[in-house]
Amino acid sequence: MSIDSEVKMSLPSPPAPGDTPPAPRRRRRGRIIVSATAYLITFVILFPLLWIALLSFRTNDTILNHPFSLTHLTTANYAQALQTLNLLVMYRNTLILAVVSVTIGLVISYLAAFALTRMVFRSGRRRTQNTLRFYFLTGLAVPVYVLLFPVYRLDITFGLFGTYFALILPYIAVTIPFNILLLTGFLRDFPEEIEQAAVMDGAGLWRMAWKVVFPLMRPVVATLAILNVIYVWNEFPFAVTLINDPGLTTVSLGVSQFQGVYSVDYGAMMASAVLVLLPQLAIYAAFQKQVIAGMTAGAVR
Amino acid sequence: MNWLTTRRHFALMIAPALIIYSVYMIYPILYSLYYSFTDFDGVSANGFAGLANYRQMAQDDAFWTSMRNTGIVLGIALFLLIPLGFLLAVLLGGRVKGSGALRALVFAPAIIAPILVGLIWIFLLDPKIGLVNAFLLAIGVPAHPQWIGGPTLSPYAIGLVYLWQQIGFVLTIFYAGLRMLPRDVMEASSLDGASRWQQLRHIQIPMLRETFGIVTALVVTGVFKVFELVYALTGGGPVHLSEVMVSYMYHITFTTQQYGYGMALAVVVFVVGALASAATFLGNRRKGEAR
Repeated sequence: MSIDSEVKMSLPSPPAPGDTPPAPRRRRRGRIIVSATAYLITFVILFPLLWIALLSFRTNDTILNHPFSLTHLTTANYAQALQTLNLLVMYRNTLILAVVSVTIGLVISYLAAFALTRMVFRSGRRRTQNTLRFYFLTGLAVPVYVLLFPVYRLDITFGLFGTYFALILPYIAVTIPFNILLLTGFLRDFPEEIEQAAVMDGAGLWRMAWKVVFPLMRPVVATLAILNVIYVWNEFPFAVTLINDPGLTTVSLGVSQFQGVYSVDYGAMMASAVLVLLPQLAIYAAFQKQVIAGMTAGAVR
Repeated sequence: MNWLTTRRHFALMIAPALIIYSVYMIYPILYSLYYSFTDFDGVSANGFAGLANYRQMAQDDAFWTSMRNTGIVLGIALFLLIPLGFLLAVLLGGRVKGSGALRALVFAPAIIAPILVGLIWIFLLDPKIGLVNAFLLAIGVPAHPQWIGGPTLSPYAIGLVYLWQQIGFVLTIFYAGLRMLPRDVMEASSLDGASRWQQLRHIQIPMLRETFGIVTALVVTGVFKVFELVYALTGGGPVHLSEVMVSYMYHITFTTQQYGYGMALAVVVFVVGALASAATFLGNRRKGEAR
């Protein structure tokens, strides 16, 4: 549905009279070549995914000895994968991490962004607010890899190692800078009239933040939620550093262990990869507009 | 607007974010910086080592190899990923039927976990079980290049896999830029008889200068985050020849447990990454002024 409207929007406008091309046939042929190239390139880009999907239905013998054979397809790899993998545990852990860290992260980012932009002091000086905002935004320049070892020590010091919070806290911290960048950007443009009207009605701070301003920030918050969930879902460096309990394994961490688990059972390895990939691609297919908007937020206005 | 708030409320609202951010992001940076001047090994509390770790780095061949490999990935990103992403944005920019769906499909690799992308590409690039060499064999090419696992090609292979994952993302940003260009300029120029190529060269590319700047900045920061691809494809081997800066830092810190030296490498990753971003930023500003 959304794809249809996209296509309609991007169709070229009908040619104006007098704009008739000199050689319509040649132009039509050119257009066919352009279309064919576009489809071909898309196919080439998707080919690796199709290839592993194909491998997941083949026996190890044919993968090794007849790489292009299409006979002897089997679903045994999936049975093997489901038996070996604890997919449910991986999904449960990743889902808990994503829901908890993204929810807490967005709530506290919103509160901070609100305080940084919408609060007015008797002294009238915004200096503290601007300095603090800048302090949060410097985090955008920090590569997470620099944090791995110090965070590992912190988790041990706080006794969090081996719990979900070992990962939840750094995930929140890492997402705060961009959350605050985007939220303060939108909160600054919040119409003052609405705020004034709410003050007249006797709204307190809490009601102002959650009942008056927040509802209008929902689109931004939704964009950030998508972006943050994708981040946590795919996150690997923290997970591999801070988890050593198999019961806490996340999806990414599980994937990194496939080669060790399956050794040379390539078919089962690919079946497992497909089992991880499919739900993710299905969700992407359902929400592709929002996902693309979320991931390019900040770069594309 | 005279809606006054007390400092106490302000402090309460900002405190949760401020504390978590300071403890888990700012403090770790200071911690890394401090321990990069020690020979900390996790047991003995502290031996102040001055610049010893940085001197060790200057003489560490593996470190320079990792720098070079990060440079190779950066080169592929700048000179292949950005131009190809732009051309693809033009190609999938609307005239083709179903181009919206094609753009969505090309974007798909960007949402896959990088660690899974690495695993997938093993089955294309591995010299023995990979599709690429099987294909070369099938069409009669006798060579069996070691795309991954060999001594030379791995960093290029890592760069190309990174390109594969990012191209839809780059395309999307260029596509958004292209759509914001005023339509009438294009129409006027085609009435004046400008060819598609001339339009691209003299109108669209110059007008998208700002977009090119944004893409460059994103790609430069992105390259310094490449880690999982190395982890999955080569593990940095053989003998650290395919290590990038981040993966080498990870190896020194967590595998060999030379924490002091590892933190020095982390500091260098941070500084080099920040310098590259700053250079991109200044370059963008300079170009903008020259206009």
